[in-house]
Amino acid sequence: MEFTDSPDQAELREVVRDFLGRHVTPERVRAAAAGSDGYDAALWMRLCGELGLTALPVPEALGGAGAGFAEVAVVLEETGRVLAPVPYLSGAVAATLLACGEPDAARQFLPGLADGTAKAALALDGEVTLEDGTVSGTARNVADGAAADVLLVRAVDTLVAVRAADADVEAVGTLDQTRPQANVTFRASPAITVGVPADLAQDLLRTALAVEAVGAADHCLAATVAYLKERVQFGRPIGQFQALKHRCAGLAVEVESARATARAAVWTAVHDPDSLAVVGPLAKRHCADVFMHVTAEMIQLHGGIGFTWEHEAHLYFKRAKSTQLTAGTPAQLRRLVGERAGLI
Amino acid sequence: MGGQDNDAAGDAAFRDEIRSWLAANLTGEFAALVGKGGPGREHEFVPERIAWERRLGEGRWIGIGWPQQDGGRELSWQQQVIFHEEYARAGAPARVGHIGEQLLGPTLLMCGTPQQRARFLPGILTGTELWCQGYSEPEAGSDLAAVKTRAVLREGQWHIHGQKVWTSLAQFSDWCFVLARTDPGEQRHRGLSYLLVPMDQPGVDVRPIVQLTGTSEFNEVFFDDARAAEADVVGAPGDGWRVAMSTLAVERGVSTFGQQQGFAREFEAVLAQARANGGIADPDLAARLVDAWIGLRVLRYTAQATLGVPAGTTPGTEANIVKLLWAPWHQRLGELAVDVLGAAGTEVGPDYDLSDAQRLFLYTRSDTIYGGSNEIQRNVIAERLLGLPRG
Ligand SMILES: Cc1cc2nc3c(=O)[nH]c(=O)nc-3n(C[C@H](O)[C@H](O)[C@H](O)COP(=O)(O)OP(=O)(O)OC[C@H]3O[C@@H](n4cnc5c(N)ncnc54)[C@H](O)[C@@H]3O)c2cc1C
Repeated sequence: MEFTDSPDQAELREVVRDFLGRHVTPERVRAAAAGSDGYDAALWMRLCGELGLTALPVPEALGGAGAGFAEVAVVLEETGRVLAPVPYLSGAVAATLLACGEPDAARQFLPGLADGTAKAALALDGEVTLEDGTVSGTARNVADGAAADVLLVRAVDTLVAVRAADADVEAVGTLDQTRPQANVTFRASPAITVGVPADLAQDLLRTALAVEAVGAADHCLAATVAYLKERVQFGRPIGQFQALKHRCAGLAVEVESARATARAAVWTAVHDPDSLAVVGPLAKRHCADVFMHVTAEMIQLHGGIGFTWEHEAHLYFKRAKSTQLTAGTPAQLRRLVGERAGLI
Repeated sequence: MGGQDNDAAGDAAFRDEIRSWLAANLTGEFAALVGKGGPGREHEFVPERIAWERRLGEGRWIGIGWPQQDGGRELSWQQQVIFHEEYARAGAPARVGHIGEQLLGPTLLMCGTPQQRARFLPGILTGTELWCQGYSEPEAGSDLAAVKTRAVLREGQWHIHGQKVWTSLAQFSDWCFVLARTDPGEQRHRGLSYLLVPMDQPGVDVRPIVQLTGTSEFNEVFFDDARAAEADVVGAPGDGWRVAMSTLAVERGVSTFGQQQGFAREFEAVLAQARANGGIADPDLAARLVDAWIGLRVLRYTAQATLGVPAGTTPGTEANIVKLLWAPWHQRLGELAVDVLGAAGTEVGPDYDLSDAQRLFLYTRSDTIYGGSNEIQRNVIAERLLGLPRG
């Protein structure tokens, strides 16, 4: 099992991190959240075009870079770190799934996803049925659903691709304004089989969410530690108080454990997908819980400023909760892991 | 995803080698030792376990990572991990020589003279000389630099006076590495020396301390004009703090992987108990069991990710991070083990004979104290990894 980046992955990480660090400020995240569709279109264009990040999981024959999910994961940790207001996670997971599925679906959708002219969303939690090549039913709280051109939909156990134009898509307001959602209704909408088990799709999504959560949690800890070094009370930096130091040390242990777990899940997705049934939900549960804890501590350790709309802490706090509650709640995932591992 | 699935070809052959050696040797007189010794049961089968330590030495299974010129096998990190995994998987008895092998040996490899290495390493490698660690004192625990035990050099010998405490396995040991003050004019970290002291002499008095398990693993050790040879000081006189710290630094936790194999066995036993008595039907217990299983996976990934990286590439707080994960995890498993038993978990055998679950429950309280308490580990992470200011 590999936990460290290959030289190419390390270079990719540096490029993406540097780019996002320079261009994605909290102001820009907030501006995008307040905008009409919740995205930063200019940023998206540059990520797709200039950096070619959407092409990573797409085979070269279909206009992609022919890399894989390990490279997607590198990007996800970095987009998570800054809460980049782009639908990268949904699109990259969808493209990864299409790239290992049926050629038909791949040929139809991957070229657009590779160059960023098309966007994707994942509707894996709905009540949707498949009949005669069409799907019917509803999927709620579909992340990035409103902007999507193609939806990968779970119809019982089958994963199908549906054009958004063939469904009713209704944007809804979100607690986490950095990731827009929609409710989607299908009425005998034409569907193309992807050729990947729906459960595997769900576990890959969970893995992606885990990785993204690690990047975000890492940022929250770093920002909190930086604040503790600079904020003075009682005549000294508050980072000198052992009560606070110990809490940060505890968070550092949690974040390291989350990073290791997310990377184990990525490795499993790439090299041992059968085991992702356990490791995917396990990683999402652990990493989302750590992310939630870190953001709650971030608010507390910042005091009053941490409770303001102006400060970035609440953006992460809300993202953490939405990560925790989508694609399986902590309690649901615990049960799932217990059952799949044969414990209960 | 266990180690055995991903072995390279040479490593797989090595795994077979250790497996068949254990199968061939953990038999006859040693068969009764399976699962014996270890935390809370160090008093069990001591002479037999000492004999087993020698058998391990004959098989050259001690110091397997040490340089060949010092009598080791110079095995790769990966193969050392495999050894510890297979050892734990076979249920081979808890080692009585681990303090010499894991603490003193590496210290001598780093800081000892060629003569000291030639004199002391063979005894560790053959299992014929057992060691204990004389650091803690009544007034120097977390604050180790406060040690008061003093040693004076007279007529070619160190004369030692003072008291150590919590000294694990001192009652079975042949030697003790002692941190003592040799320069009375100096304070704190300065003026300390790292002495190698024979235990079998009139000036050394070992008094076992009864632990909350009712058994004795650690001791008080009194030095009343105890002697050590002038040459048996590791590093220069007065440089003992640096030597003692390198003991801690070299311990990068290969054995953690064997320890986790032991954790997995303990977890399986708790799960089996919950199935046998129906406890698993209780949603709260079921949830805690799954959480324990998830926690063990997370622990394993974190140990692989942090301890497996080459030394010097990270700030050196990996072992602190892993300890802060496993020690509380182990305590929670101990609590779960007795909770699964319900009221039956409150009953002990004659002479306070504890069940495995009770022993796990009680003994794990020490996991967050020894080897640097959790609070001290957090101080280290906060200051060295996160760079938070000293208080
Ligand atoms: C089972 C067992 C085996 C042991 N074996 C050995 C051995 O073989 N050789 C040996 O030398 N020692 C051994 N020890 C001793 C062990 O290293 C010490 O117990 C440990 O270092 C703590 O020291 P103390 O007991 O004096 O507690 P103290 O240092 O008095 O600590 C008491 C409490 O105060 C906290 N505390 C202390 N300082 C700070 C601080 N700066 N910030 C925050 N909190 C603080 C501690 O975390 C703890 O909770 C063993 C201990 C146990 C339990």
